[in-house]
Amino acid sequence: MKTIQKLTDISTVEGQLIEYDNNDLPKLPLDVEPLPYAAPSEQQKKDFCCDMLDGVSILNIPRPKNALEEQELVDKFLSGLKKLFDKNNNWTFVNMLEASMDCCAQCNSCSEACHLYEMSGKNVMYRPNFRSEILRRIYHQYIKKEPFAKLRYGDMPLNWKTVVRLGELAYRCNLCRRCAQVCPIGVDNGLIARELRKVFSQELGIAPKELHEKGTELQQQRGSSTGMTPDVVKDNVEFIDEDYTEITGVGIETPFDKKGADILLLHNAGEVMAWPENIACFSLIFNAAGLSWTLSSKMLGYDGVNYGVFYDDAQTARIALQHFQAAKELGVKKIVIGECGHASKALNVIADRVIPYDLQVPREICYVTLNNIIKEGRLKIDPSRNNFPVTLHDPCNIVRLMGIVEPQREILRAIAPQFREMPCHGVNNYCCGGGSGFAIISRNNCNVWRNNIASRKKFWQISEAFKDCLGPETKKYICAPCSNCKGSIRDILEMHELFEKNSFAYGGLVELIVNAMVDVNPGFIKWGEEE
Amino acid sequence: MITIFYLLGYLALIGFIVTSFLKIRAYMSKTPSHIRWELYPIPHEGKRAAYGGSYMEEVNWWEHKHTVDHMGDIYFLLREILFLEATFHHNRPLWYRTYPFHVGLYLLMGGAIILVIAAILRLLGCSPDGWLIGLIYWFIQIMSFVGCVCLLYGGIGLMVRRLTDEGLRMFSTFEHFFSIGLFAMFGLTGLITWLTNESFASCAGDFVYNALTLNFVGVGSGGFIVHMLLGFFLMILIPVSFMSHILLKYFLYHDIRWEDIATCTSTKRQAVINDILQYKCTWAAPHINPKGEDKTWVQVATSGYPCQEGEK
Repeated sequence: MKTIQKLTDISTVEGQLIEYDNNDLPKLPLDVEPLPYAAPSEQQKKDFCCDMLDGVSILNIPRPKNALEEQELVDKFLSGLKKLFDKNNNWTFVNMLEASMDCCAQCNSCSEACHLYEMSGKNVMYRPNFRSEILRRIYHQYIKKEPFAKLRYGDMPLNWKTVVRLGELAYRCNLCRRCAQVCPIGVDNGLIARELRKVFSQELGIAPKELHEKGTELQQQRGSSTGMTPDVVKDNVEFIDEDYTEITGVGIETPFDKKGADILLLHNAGEVMAWPENIACFSLIFNAAGLSWTLSSKMLGYDGVNYGVFYDDAQTARIALQHFQAAKELGVKKIVIGECGHASKALNVIADRVIPYDLQVPREICYVTLNNIIKEGRLKIDPSRNNFPVTLHDPCNIVRLMGIVEPQREILRAIAPQFREMPCHGVNNYCCGGGSGFAIISRNNCNVWRNNIASRKKFWQISEAFKDCLGPETKKYICAPCSNCKGSIRDILEMHELFEKNSFAYGGLVELIVNAMVDVNPGFIKWGEEE
Repeated sequence: MITIFYLLGYLALIGFIVTSFLKIRAYMSKTPSHIRWELYPIPHEGKRAAYGGSYMEEVNWWEHKHTVDHMGDIYFLLREILFLEATFHHNRPLWYRTYPFHVGLYLLMGGAIILVIAAILRLLGCSPDGWLIGLIYWFIQIMSFVGCVCLLYGGIGLMVRRLTDEGLRMFSTFEHFFSIGLFAMFGLTGLITWLTNESFASCAGDFVYNALTLNFVGVGSGGFIVHMLLGFFLMILIPVSFMSHILLKYFLYHDIRWEDIATCTSTKRQAVINDILQYKCTWAAPHINPKGEDKTWVQVATSGYPCQEGEK
């Protein structure tokens, strides 16, 4: 096991900064043994800085070939950092960032709240304040150039290794902000991690390709980060309607581009590809409830994803603007965002001060809309159809960062007789492990890291919620009403064969609602071999 | 020599006020509007605050008035300031040391404010030998003793923990030990003064009264002078060190964590956003500014692919 001895190791140590033994990771009641890492090839090591941190390489920064390129990397990083602390370039965050830079007392309260630190076997590099403190020292020493900075705050040599490792470290945080929630002062290490990501993306042009090239760029080029163009998405949804009409026994027709509808429903388009039942359930419920609603087939208007919130302010604004324009063109009264945490926060909260008000359209989270449908009795529900243990995962973006806590619970109390909370639920929840982009990044051991460490706490919560019925004889449902969260949970269930070993099923809220609808053929939710 | 001592006191006070003002002004003037970055629970959300809910839990929330329960915010902050609740709940071993440290500070700072009031009362004619000033000094005598003991115990406790806890040691810098060490020394010199003088409260009270009346005469022992000189230095140090959280905590809570004002409810905010979007954006990455042009944020936000397609 190789670990960090002092903070300056980030600049001085050769090769991989830390190595940890899988045996040191906390054990769980579920059979989720940690997976081994795959070593990068010699060619990969020669071409990319992929072996410098912890065996995972998300940014995959090209390895500088000579001293000139090494210096160029440092210079660009410093140029970006200066912009980060500049009002014009970073009016969105600058005073919040400076306050977090200046006020931290290094009490380490944040560490105890962080699932990554805890589930890594308390490796110091995963402390939320580790990257923050390194950035803080660089800020005092190289940006503010304060007298006696080395003496007061500690020296931090700055070279290409520091830059590469800091960039990679910015992606060892789920941006769940649980650490900020417990900070007695209000310092926000999640914010600092995101700001670091911005320096790399907005100044150096370096970002994970799943978020940038295949994410925000693809979404702007083709209309969706899935690559689906408007015609393709309409075709796919038509197929979904047909398939699920047959499965549910209820005629499903999804409206597109209905001008003057009350609601534009904005899905995460990943649902169309990976969880078509989610799309079908929304259509079925909204139609049965008699809502006036539509989907959009305008570019970006059918994909609520906004990966910009994970790493780049410009991309965030560009995508949010297109979402609003799609709604404006249809003349809807409000946008309802489907089961997607980051999309909900991006459009509801972040875009609120990025897009001029006259271009905005009111937004609502689907949990609220669905709860209202249930409360008004617009659906015929038979809760006994959901008479199996159900637990709820709280997506950080919707719960801790938007304060939408009760509507989803009111729904579950009404439709799922055996609903039980996880430990640490509501605003005290833990991230699924896929937050801030990890759910869609699998290469270079990212999936191993996510499953071994990032999602581990979530699986502790799940096993605690079902501790009275963990065995395969009881069918259980993990309700995870967020696209990326579902992806992370699915990965662990699949990888460790927990569908079969523990009879788990997972899905969103709408699937549970449809499962309880008396007009729908019974047994909509499937377990293991039933699928 | 004693005149210099008093002058240093004035300088420390002026320095504290000026640097604190500059610190707060720097925060407030850095941007006309930061992004919404709220974090729940937010205590001004009324009944919802108990579980961390927000006004966005309502259907068509923008059609309803957002009622802000300011008392909720005040109650939360009072609990946090008086009891350091966050540390109590999330970092108990540290709380046993940092809480007495902070209580010591509160008592000594509170005592200083009370002494200013006492000095004003004396200026208004209250006799220093009268019952009212006597009662105040009796309180000050207790507050200063408990305050100094707490500060000394907490300061030493915090330093020992920083030295012995592996996690804290790696993150502790010279400034942490220097600042906490000075506070502990401040407590120690105060305690020595308290024990070696007939009345610490009289020394301190006379000093404040003399400072207010520009009567630069000696008070108490040499220990008191050293105690006060340390205090003067700490007044200068607080706003320019990590201890500035005393000043910025209000903003970190009210302006960041709890600031949930929706743009639709504020015409002022709507105008501010339109202005900010005209700021220059010089980020150099190819997807932001491929030709290195002089761009505003509006131009950057409207130069994505669909817009470019439209232009074509």
